[in-house]
Amino acid sequence: MPEQEYEVEGEGLAKSYGSVKAVDGVSLRIRRGECYGILGPNGAGKTTTIKMICGYAIPDAGSLRVFGIDAVADSRRVRERMGIVPQESTLDSELTVYENLWVYAGYFGLSRKESRPRIEELLEFFQLREKWDAQIKALSGGMKRRLLIARALIHRPRLLVLDEPTTGLDPQARHLVWNRLRELRRQGLSILLTTHYMEEAAQLCDRIGVMDEGRYLVEGAPIDLVRERVGEEVIELRGVDEGPVLRALDGLPFKPERVGDTLYLYCRDGRVMDRLIGAGRRDFLRRPATLEDLFLHLTGRELRE
Amino acid sequence: MSEFLQHAPSHRAVRVWIRHLVMYRSWFIAEWAGSLTEHALYLLAFGYGLGRFVPDMGGMAYAQFIGPGLVVSIAMWSASYESTYGAYSRMRLQHIYEGMLSAPLTIGDVVLGDLLWCASRSLIGAVLMLIVLSAFGLVGSPWAAAVLPVVFIEALMFAGLGLIATALAPSHSFFNFHYSLIVMPMFFFAGTFFPLQGLPAWMQTVSELMPLTHAVVLARGLIVYGHAPDALWHLFMLSVFTLGFLAVACGLVGRRMLD
Repeated sequence: MPEQEYEVEGEGLAKSYGSVKAVDGVSLRIRRGECYGILGPNGAGKTTTIKMICGYAIPDAGSLRVFGIDAVADSRRVRERMGIVPQESTLDSELTVYENLWVYAGYFGLSRKESRPRIEELLEFFQLREKWDAQIKALSGGMKRRLLIARALIHRPRLLVLDEPTTGLDPQARHLVWNRLRELRRQGLSILLTTHYMEEAAQLCDRIGVMDEGRYLVEGAPIDLVRERVGEEVIELRGVDEGPVLRALDGLPFKPERVGDTLYLYCRDGRVMDRLIGAGRRDFLRRPATLEDLFLHLTGRELRE
Repeated sequence: MSEFLQHAPSHRAVRVWIRHLVMYRSWFIAEWAGSLTEHALYLLAFGYGLGRFVPDMGGMAYAQFIGPGLVVSIAMWSASYESTYGAYSRMRLQHIYEGMLSAPLTIGDVVLGDLLWCASRSLIGAVLMLIVLSAFGLVGSPWAAAVLPVVFIEALMFAGLGLIATALAPSHSFFNFHYSLIVMPMFFFAGTFFPLQGLPAWMQTVSELMPLTHAVVLARGLIVYGHAPDALWHLFMLSVFTLGFLAVACGLVGRRMLD
């Protein structure tokens, strides 16, 4: 097969469930060797996009090539080269850790003997070596998630697809997963993930696409997107009367936003802060602009439930 | 068409079968003890208890008459349980099918692997029941062993039927319908306990439409005499039902698992 630059190439993908347009004209390209994140609030269409790429959902429109293969017509061949980590555990709760892995390797046509060295290596890598004979129900949430990722890597896939890889994990477990994913990325694995944790995207992703209501809003490197769309830094003032503050800052480049009792000032540089201090104010918080600011800026602040 | 081929089964179904075998090793004995005892009790209660009041059944003692039917019905019950409650748990509660579909397995692989597994388990039950029959001196020919391939096809068929119910079931209480409307009527009216000849015409027609009837005729012939009348016809009918149920099960499971 010729080496192509993109692992995933989707053009104009659309998928409706009844009258709900879950995905409505999404185009995305995932480069070989990058970690790509799809961000969006609940119901944005992230999981549906992933489902199409994995072959669980057939697009109503658009074209989708994965590894250069038509993913709609030949999802079995696509899945032979792809590692899939679903949101909810699909580990085999009737088998032990080791049985889970060798049985799963069998689904790829690997014999028990062939898969054994790989299983040892993966359990070592994910710090699960001592759980070899454990039942699945005896594992913690973090261990299950790591085992799920290990299982997806059993056949040395080219692309690892993770749907919300750390949802529901405690901070320690989450950092361990991030650390392992960064190591895999360093080893050259292409990674596609969905998340609604901004920190996760900032920690892991080379590029992100932000989705809402089935559509792509922006795409790019997290730092560039934040700089372009939000600015360099954010100043937060709580419980202040915004009139005098804004008058004091007159003429400077910044964007104000009022949310409840908080006034946010999105700034390009430090002049806004200097002017506030000059005006005798100390009651503000200054911090770098983050993906979270970008995300809220793009998708709005109303609750998604 | 390409969508249809995407779901088609392949040799990888064997891997699904292996998975079920690995899961099953630890359960084996406890499970068969129950079902086998139950069917041995039918043999004793009906064959020898009730049988004392039943005249000669065309040259057979009553126990000899019902024994072969019990071999195919133990397989029917086993395949049905495994493909309803067992598969329901795998498909709907434990997401085991979903895990398989994240590997390069198709719906067809998963379905066929499950049906092969149900049929294999049923075969174990049929072998055990055959041993019980021979202990009672009710096996008339070494050709009785030829009933095992028949049982395998018959069990595949009931597993397919059970998996159809599983794919349609809104919850597992739905299986009450499967058992009271499909499995129980076949257990009683497919010719295991009394001959179908001489029943009212409508009952005879219903019985002849029951797929189990073909298996009972084949089993009785093979176990008692070593050969069965119209064997090819009955095998053909069993195979048609089996392939039909397999195809429908693939379609319905696919509809439930994929969007």
